[in-house]
Amino acid sequence: MSAAALDSLATIEKSPGYWSGVMRRFRRDPVAMLALAIILGLVLMAIFAPWIAPNDPYRGQMLRRLRPMGTPGFPLGTDELGRDMLTRLIYGARLSLLMGVTPVIIAFFIGSAIGIAAGYVGGWLNTVLMRTVDVFFAFPSVLLAIALSGALGAGIFNGLLSLTIVFVPPIARIAESVTTAVRKIEYVEAARASGASSFTIVRVHVLGNVIGPIFVYATGLISVSLILASGLSFLGLGVKPPEPEWGLMLNTLRNAIYVQPWVAALPGAMIFITSISFNLLSDGLRSAMDLKA
Amino acid sequence: MLTYIAKRLIYTLPVALGVSIVCFMLVHIAPGDPLTSVLPPDASAQLQAEMRKIYGFDRPLIVQYGLWALKTLQGDLGVSIATGRPVAAELGKALGNTLMLAVLATFIGFVLGCLFGFVAGYFQNSWLDKLASFVSIIGVSVPHYWLGMVLVIIFSVQLNWLPATGAGPGGSADWAWDWVHVKHLILPAVTMSVIPMGIVARTVRALVADILSQEFITGQRAKGLLDGGVFRHVVKNAAPTALAVMGLQLGYLLGGSILIETVFSWPGTGFLLGQAIFQRDLPLLQGTILVLAMFFVALNLVVDVIQSMLDPRVQRA
Amino acid sequence: MNASAPIPRPPKPLLTVTGLTKHFALKGGLFGQSRGVVRAVDDISFEVGEGETLGIVGESGCGKSTTARLLVDLISPDSGDIQLGGKLVGSELPIRELRRQVQMVFQDSYASLNPRLTMEDAISFGPMVNGMARNAAVRLAHDLLARVGLEPRRFAGRYPHELSGGQRQRVNIARALAFSPKVVVLDEAVSALDKSVEAQVLNLLTDLKAELGLTYVFISHDLNVVRYMSDRVMVMYLGQVAEVGPVDAIYGAPAHPYSRALLAAMPSMDPDRRTMEAPLAGDPPNPINPPPGCRFHTRCRFADAVCSMSDPGLYTMGTPGHLAACHLHIPASGHKAAELAA
Repeated sequence: MSAAALDSLATIEKSPGYWSGVMRRFRRDPVAMLALAIILGLVLMAIFAPWIAPNDPYRGQMLRRLRPMGTPGFPLGTDELGRDMLTRLIYGARLSLLMGVTPVIIAFFIGSAIGIAAGYVGGWLNTVLMRTVDVFFAFPSVLLAIALSGALGAGIFNGLLSLTIVFVPPIARIAESVTTAVRKIEYVEAARASGASSFTIVRVHVLGNVIGPIFVYATGLISVSLILASGLSFLGLGVKPPEPEWGLMLNTLRNAIYVQPWVAALPGAMIFITSISFNLLSDGLRSAMDLKA
Repeated sequence: MLTYIAKRLIYTLPVALGVSIVCFMLVHIAPGDPLTSVLPPDASAQLQAEMRKIYGFDRPLIVQYGLWALKTLQGDLGVSIATGRPVAAELGKALGNTLMLAVLATFIGFVLGCLFGFVAGYFQNSWLDKLASFVSIIGVSVPHYWLGMVLVIIFSVQLNWLPATGAGPGGSADWAWDWVHVKHLILPAVTMSVIPMGIVARTVRALVADILSQEFITGQRAKGLLDGGVFRHVVKNAAPTALAVMGLQLGYLLGGSILIETVFSWPGTGFLLGQAIFQRDLPLLQGTILVLAMFFVALNLVVDVIQSMLDPRVQRA
Repeated sequence: MNASAPIPRPPKPLLTVTGLTKHFALKGGLFGQSRGVVRAVDDISFEVGEGETLGIVGESGCGKSTTARLLVDLISPDSGDIQLGGKLVGSELPIRELRRQVQMVFQDSYASLNPRLTMEDAISFGPMVNGMARNAAVRLAHDLLARVGLEPRRFAGRYPHELSGGQRQRVNIARALAFSPKVVVLDEAVSALDKSVEAQVLNLLTDLKAELGLTYVFISHDLNVVRYMSDRVMVMYLGQVAEVGPVDAIYGAPAHPYSRALLAAMPSMDPDRRTMEAPLAGDPPNPINPPPGCRFHTRCRFADAVCSMSDPGLYTMGTPGHLAACHLHIPASGHKAAELAA
């Protein structure tokens, strides 16, 4: 028996795993692939901004303020301080993506940890953690973000902190509910009966089955986060001038809508494209994972 | 039924308590001494010490919270630093304006959202569905403050049909339901309605698709029930959830109106918040946030109770 | 009792359960206060001999599955002792050791397997958390797959959704065997399978038992299957033992009216054995507030005044090792029929 088993080691038929199935379905989704391509393009643009951008994002000339699109040397016009719009839009991807995506990533880890702990351990820990989460969930997200960064004051770090606090509760809630459901399934009981420690059971049996739904949910929050992050800068919270950031650019160009309306609207279009791409990507992931909406 | 309402009420109390604690802490997480928010920057050390005593900032936090909560319950939200007027008075007017805007926006969003969602769910996978789904994904993806700007550019700057900002000739003091005033409401309300529209459309599409796939509908169709009858079934089954979503969206809009009110200089709570942030008027910030958050908590409660009345399944969940 | 008949020596008890009790608090109401307790398992005692199969039968909600979960310490008892091989679990025998030596196979073959793990990983997980090196654990997994009739080369790399119900249950059995357990608790392990597949898995279980000298606790609501598999049978009703004894005694001469009713309702292939006694009427009473006295008296055709007043307790019947909890068979119990018999 043992010899036969040894022989078989070499010639095991491996089935494709769950994630390779997800990737296969995902690759066949043209809309999601387009969204992914746009996002990758934006990320590359952000990384290589100094090499791509034609001009200096900070230096402007009062003589060439608010030029229209198509001006020679300034294809997308100039802003209210005479800085090149194209350059600033390219550089803007850096802070806008950073401010929009980072809070969701951090909240994904913190929220998952809270939710999985509450869901797996249950009992009083669940009550304490989830009631606290409920309090933050009781605020509309925009209001909470503005309240926190309004109190903390402007600045990139304060903006990131506020947004992270906003996104922890919804992620923790989802994580708690999927974990509670998984904990009751027999394979977790079987693992407990094998004498494995809680940590090992969570790592091997719980995590793999809950992380997918939580992840999809979190990707869906990125678009909200992007809009909110730029919204904070738009209100004068978050990123401070003269940094190029789409929301802040939209704010400083607000009064220019009577002079160069379409130049003034450009940063918002960037936010829109980024946000819709993340939404479509999230939808694609959701259907590739065969999760219900 | 009564037990459910009572349970829901009792569950709400600790949440409301928690919300009030978070609001209370807003002043204390602000960088620097909370005193700086009530004193001129050049106040003498002696004055600072006196004021610290008067405001009770020298006492333990929990005592401060107790005193603050007691005052708040009596309707005293403190005094605005910028205007020197009671926060409660500033809020009263603004809240009415925001409510008007949010209710109208929710209504538009709900009607359009139901329409798109219903069409999409009913003609699943047709081009109509694709179109409606596309519209709804735009609705949830568009930065609404930017959409507001774009609408202003089109309808105010280019076409000059509607005013770009404000609430009418006399500010918000002499609001009336005539064209002079109502035309100020159109752009912000339409802009704001995009958010609930996208979400309502998504929800209704999923609901309609789910109901249509259930066996009782197939049974009704087999019995020869016409589409009108099927339609009635769908509406009856989808209505409670759709209404609940609408109620919550109204709450989100109340809280989230700040960006749109800033774009349109609409004299509501959001505009007030914007001022509070700009002038670092912490009492005004705290009072506005508290009132809006409590409004949202109460709205949640009301929505849940109404939904449980309409849909007996909810109570079991 | 017939003293002249040779008493077959019962096998050495491997698993001894004494006074095992598990109540579940039922939360609810306005402030989440307790609305009562479900007496899922209420003071039960039994033994399982080394190498034997004890069948446990009863309607749903009678405490079969709770008993199973208590045996492998998935839930901890409110009171009562479990001894394994003469060692008291929790003090003389660590719980970890109990979990290694008593393994369980669940009813739902699909839910029992982590959908993200291959069969090889599912089986080797247990040995690895108990300190076995990965290579050795994988080799063991392949060995066990072969042993339960699944060719390792084809099945080791598969995921649960690619297997049939019967194949998955074979994997679950293999996983239980990975610990070289002494006892395997089979909780409705074949109930969800098609009849033909069920027979194959039952034969596999019988073979494995003989090969590896296993002891089974076989839980099922299917009386035919229990009869086929068991050496002794325990009938449970509302968290208590109604009757326990050798399989032939229980099936041949059931003493407890509940056992009789259960067996009468059992489908038979023999046309001469028609249902003679009235099958059970109604559902079991609510285990939250079990009736006083004998718990079965509300549905019992022979119920007398005494039955609603005192709990009969297990009493030895004619055959050695055959016990039933019924006033009908206890002399001087106060039951009219018992008086007559005396």
